Amino acid sequence: MLFNSFHFLFFFLVVTSLYFTVPHKWRWLLLLVSSCYFYMAFVPIYILILGITIVIDYFAGISIESAKAKNRKAFLTISLIANISVLCIFKYFNFLNHNFSFLMHGFGLKNPIPYLSILLPIGLSFHTFQAMSYTIEVYRGNQKAERHFGIYSLYVMFYPQLVAGPIERPQNLLHQFREKHRFEYFRVSEGLKLIVWGFFKKLVIADRLAIYVNAVYNNVPHHSGFSLFVATIFFAFQIYCDFSAYSDIAIGLAKVMGFHLMTNFNRPYFARNIAEFWKRWHISLSTWFKDYLYIPLGGNRVPVPRWYFNLFLVFLVSGLWHGANWTYIIWGALNGFYLIFANISQKFRDKFNQSVGLNQVPKISVFVQTTITFTLICFAWIFFRANQVTDAFTIIKKISTLRGPLFIENPSKMIYSLAAIGFLMLIEYKREYYKGRVKFFDNKNWLVRNFSYASLIIIILLFGVFDGGQFIYFQF
Amino acid sequence: MLETIIYKINKSDFSYFVIKLSLFLFLVFSLDFIIGHTLRYFYFKQQSGLQYEATFAIEKTKANVLIFGSSRACNHYIPSVLEEKLGLTCYNAGRYGSPILYHLAVLKSVLKRYHPKMIILDVNLQEFEKIEGSYDVLSSLLPYYKTHPEMRSIIEMRGKYEKLKLLSGIYPFNSEMLTIAIGNTEMNKKRRDTFDGYIPLRNKWIDPIPDYAFPQDYDVDSNRLQAYKVFINDCKKANVNLYIACSPYLSKNRFKDRSISIAKAIAKKENVPFFDYSNYLPLIKPYLYHDTPHLNQDGARFYSNLVANEILKTSLIKGIR
Repeated sequence: MLFNSFHFLFFFLVVTSLYFTVPHKWRWLLLLVSSCYFYMAFVPIYILILGITIVIDYFAGISIESAKAKNRKAFLTISLIANISVLCIFKYFNFLNHNFSFLMHGFGLKNPIPYLSILLPIGLSFHTFQAMSYTIEVYRGNQKAERHFGIYSLYVMFYPQLVAGPIERPQNLLHQFREKHRFEYFRVSEGLKLIVWGFFKKLVIADRLAIYVNAVYNNVPHHSGFSLFVATIFFAFQIYCDFSAYSDIAIGLAKVMGFHLMTNFNRPYFARNIAEFWKRWHISLSTWFKDYLYIPLGGNRVPVPRWYFNLFLVFLVSGLWHGANWTYIIWGALNGFYLIFANISQKFRDKFNQSVGLNQVPKISVFVQTTITFTLICFAWIFFRANQVTDAFTIIKKISTLRGPLFIENPSKMIYSLAAIGFLMLIEYKREYYKGRVKFFDNKNWLVRNFSYASLIIIILLFGVFDGGQFIYFQF
Repeated sequence: MLETIIYKINKSDFSYFVIKLSLFLFLVFSLDFIIGHTLRYFYFKQQSGLQYEATFAIEKTKANVLIFGSSRACNHYIPSVLEEKLGLTCYNAGRYGSPILYHLAVLKSVLKRYHPKMIILDVNLQEFEKIEGSYDVLSSLLPYYKTHPEMRSIIEMRGKYEKLKLLSGIYPFNSEMLTIAIGNTEMNKKRRDTFDGYIPLRNKWIDPIPDYAFPQDYDVDSNRLQAYKVFINDCKKANVNLYIACSPYLSKNRFKDRSISIAKAIAKKENVPFFDYSNYLPLIKPYLYHDTPHLNQDGARFYSNLVANEILKTSLIKGIR
């Protein structure tokens, strides 16, 4: 069930109405049943996989809490192995097997291991990571083990963030299922506003840009360097709007019912360096890796070479988390490399800025830094979006010449795409640098505020792509 | 001020929310109504462009001969050539990217108004292929949903919530604002891209003839197939002489397409002439093509003459002229 479908609209109306109607003690059940229905609308059978990991993690949590120090680690290991095994089987098995075949072929041997013909369960990486954060936090003593099986299941399955995050922490979410949420006007309207804004980003920007990006990236040999360059820029905005739209809608849906989910995006394309970008992009995943991988590896409190290794490894794993393909691994490695290089070149860059006087003109300095960061991120997106590694290299080669005509299938659709990006950047620029000034969406006047949101809905009707597909991050 | 008054009258958050939401929805529906009606007015006021051509085919043309089909019909059949050869007025009602379901919807509207003497339906390779999301292209019919009830059942195939979406005044004109604006200016007229629905292509293919392998193992869409059968039956019922053709493709590879075989078999069963030029060797010449599926204007002239001559050979034409 996609957020951008009528099926979901009816589902949301029914579930939310019932949520505020049923007594508090039954609300967890209502949400759990609704979440099961929501998940089963994709591929029903996969709820069993989710069910198995929920049972394992539920008992692991209780066992970790009640066991002695030595056994606690064993229970945590069992839980982590179970979760990672599910990921490996469904997400990485065929990828690993394919690479193994390639290796065997190199030695003139045949790979006897057959491929699995299975579909990747939707949102597997998201709910697996959320489940893992629970057992880790119980192990660390930051979270009490949840004894209520239904509420624990709901923590993993809460429908707004079940398939594409934000990846929540038990300390933030679990207790909220026990709290009594009243119908509050302010909170409900804030939630609905976020949902409208999410739909705007998805339907007007992401799905519009997807038409061009797909046409060009799915047919790389037939497109010029200039078209590929434009498609890459478009993809940067497509993926941002697609994913942040999902997060906005998820946070908004939860907010309507009284739940607070963590912020997942904070205008990432205004970041001035790669490290800042990762503090603004997919925040729930970045912090997950920081808390559960980077810091346990030693973080930056280790010798410099080891620190760089830690950074590189975290981004390599992050790439692999996104998908079982070398394109994602290279994308992750590239981001890791960016960060290491930024650290190595810090002194040189500071000197250079001083010598050209850039640090004396802060506005220009910010502009230059933002542009360079955006360019580096776009370069990495080429690997993320390319269907194959060879395609990515062809794209880079073609873009480097910037030759050839610009592919324009329909001039008016191209104008809509550019206008959509312009509109988004205008709003984000205002929010980033002029927060208190010229308020439309937060205006104190009811008419101005509501007219702004009504206009957003009208723009969706006028320029939205209603036949667009699912959210990109569903596949992860 | 307004908010304070409403809140004082309705002390509960829920009543307050319902009132505010109602006011907001009223604002949205009012804007939708006003903008939707404005777009409708300007859509049907267009005097040039592809949307105007579609409206002309659906609501105005009284031509003796009508051409139906996708871009290949638009680019391959020159009405003036057919008029000269056949001695009958002709209009090209083809539309870019449109499937048989679109042609059937237009046919139903045309037959409600008048009965043309002859119809030429151009079918494509893979015409009946089942493709996910392929009904999206029927969006070009959305502006006619309100005023053309005969089209509704076909338009509603776009999705099960289409009826609901069409409650909006703006939705039928989704993504069309710029095109409508241009259609209301002199820009298209000055460009003169269309001639009685025919759109000439001017490039010449200079690359070697490609060797395309068309897929053969695709599933057939029963709705598309049914639409083809209904198209034939509606023409028969209305006593319209129907000719079906598959115009040529530039490809080295000679192919046998599943859809064309089915279309041919049905035409044969229904006693409808079928001209298959998909593998016609005298037309496999690069200089006659704009790109591999589309003839340029020289190719279109050659091909239109060929079709007209073929029609003249049949016995059906004698009763018409």
